[in-house]
Amino acid sequence: MRYKFGSKCLISPAPLAGIERWKPVARPRQAAIAGVYTTKQGKLPDRTSFSLQLEAIKGALDDAGIPIEEVDGIIPMSMSDHLPGTTAHQFWANQLGERPLGLMEVGGASGALAKAALAIENGMCEVVVLFYGKAGSLVGPRGTAMPDRAPRVPDWSFYQSGAYMTTWYALWAQRYMHEFGVTHADLAEVAVFTRHHATLNPDSIMGRKGDITVEDVLNSRPICEPLNLLDCSLDNDGGYAIVMTSVERARSGKKEPVLVLGGAESTYTDFYVTINDPWFPEEGKAVRRATERAFGIAGIQHDDIDVAGLYDCFTITTIRDLEEMGFCKLGEGADYVKEGHCSLGGKMPTNTDGGLLSNSHAGDPAGMHTIEVVRQLRGECGERQVPGAKLGVSLQQGWAVHGMAGVLVMATE
Amino acid sequence: MTYLKPLPQIEPRNKEFWDGLAAGEFRVPKCDDCGHYNWVPYPACRSCLSENQTWTPVSRDATVWSFSLVHRGPGAFNDDVPYAVVLAKLAEEPRSCIVLGNTVGIDPNDLYIGMPLRIVFEEIPGEDVTVFRFAAADAAEPDDADAALNVENQPATVA
Repeated sequence: MRYKFGSKCLISPAPLAGIERWKPVARPRQAAIAGVYTTKQGKLPDRTSFSLQLEAIKGALDDAGIPIEEVDGIIPMSMSDHLPGTTAHQFWANQLGERPLGLMEVGGASGALAKAALAIENGMCEVVVLFYGKAGSLVGPRGTAMPDRAPRVPDWSFYQSGAYMTTWYALWAQRYMHEFGVTHADLAEVAVFTRHHATLNPDSIMGRKGDITVEDVLNSRPICEPLNLLDCSLDNDGGYAIVMTSVERARSGKKEPVLVLGGAESTYTDFYVTINDPWFPEEGKAVRRATERAFGIAGIQHDDIDVAGLYDCFTITTIRDLEEMGFCKLGEGADYVKEGHCSLGGKMPTNTDGGLLSNSHAGDPAGMHTIEVVRQLRGECGERQVPGAKLGVSLQQGWAVHGMAGVLVMATE
Repeated sequence: MTYLKPLPQIEPRNKEFWDGLAAGEFRVPKCDDCGHYNWVPYPACRSCLSENQTWTPVSRDATVWSFSLVHRGPGAFNDDVPYAVVLAKLAEEPRSCIVLGNTVGIDPNDLYIGMPLRIVFEEIPGEDVTVFRFAAADAAEPDDADAALNVENQPATVA
């Protein structure tokens, strides 16, 4: 499989069952990922969020071989707390040396990158940097201090009920298990294969702890039933960045370009407030929509994919990712995992870095899956390398549980 | 003992709801045009986009749609572990109204999907707020719920 600028746009694959195809549009230019970077991930008490973000920006540009002077688009996935009233992209426009920047944000990591690719392809900007960094705060309940009086929160906020992200995914898992007769042991399979991948990634946080079994997951302490500790992602510090530009510019950089064949994003609900019945409709929700769009634009089919990075904040998430994206039928995600398709050596190795469950989950880790897919397509993954990987996909999701999704399809030249 | 869990910011746009709880009613915006209830409240009906909605008391009947037993709680909730968080589906149709909340007087181990619930009310001492909880459908009404307040594992209960 070889994708060339211009030629791939003419490919018109056969329609997938139940999936509408879009006629690929001939593009004036081809976007590519030129650089990626991850800071150290873990407990980083001596670092600040800002310094992780700056390190990630510099690191990804260095990986690309592109100087900061060429950056003219930005996807800051963090708020700026330096100048009240100043948005993050305004802050960074000045911090990076009074740089004229276009804000390319919206849609989570994969979705924002899909939009940045369109901007590059159509000449709105030349070099876009997506970055994130977080230190010193926690996502989970350990990060909540005891107040001296009842705090006031927005009217319908889940904080009033003692819920947090894990609780939401637990409610999702409970309902899912009820509707489809899936067991906790089925969910646990996700933690097992991602941990194994982490053991092959020297930079992962949990890899040094070695492999785990389904029994280990079931015997780990409960957090929000039915989810136990080993069903949950990590809660650590870290930063990362991704540089996207035209394939021509990327070719004159340091690394082999990774082409962006297409991407899309979709949102169906608000920030952990409204849930509608059914939660698992046959026609899917945001992840399905983003996937169909992205695969249609890229002109690919499911079986074309060599390697995947699928959002895995909890074990249930990966199972639902696989179903919503159409790799298997509704209710059969755990079977797909048990058949070994997501493991190294399987037909679509997934989260080969160990994912959010066993590699790293720093604040908003939505770009991490894309970075691992880029490294796989470059052949940089050592022991965990998927041999001959040429086509990869990343899925970012979040908000109200699969509420907002972004999908990005990438390929070697 | 002071109540230290998060409480709502009561504002003009949601005051009808919180006043309703104090009056022993669970009020949900009902569309004047298509008749659908909407939860959580939004400025316009999700079914027909009409802005003509009226806060309307519902039956307070619900069923467990999903639930979780929480073993690590944020802030003051951590004193109550394990406690239950439920998604309860109100009896009102046709648009689903799924409400997140805590239980009262229910042993968390007795929860199951489909379990009949009834919305009950709890005044928060020292605050201007009455909150709602989900009790078992066959539980006593709030007036004689003192016995229920002694059941263990209740996040909602203030000693």
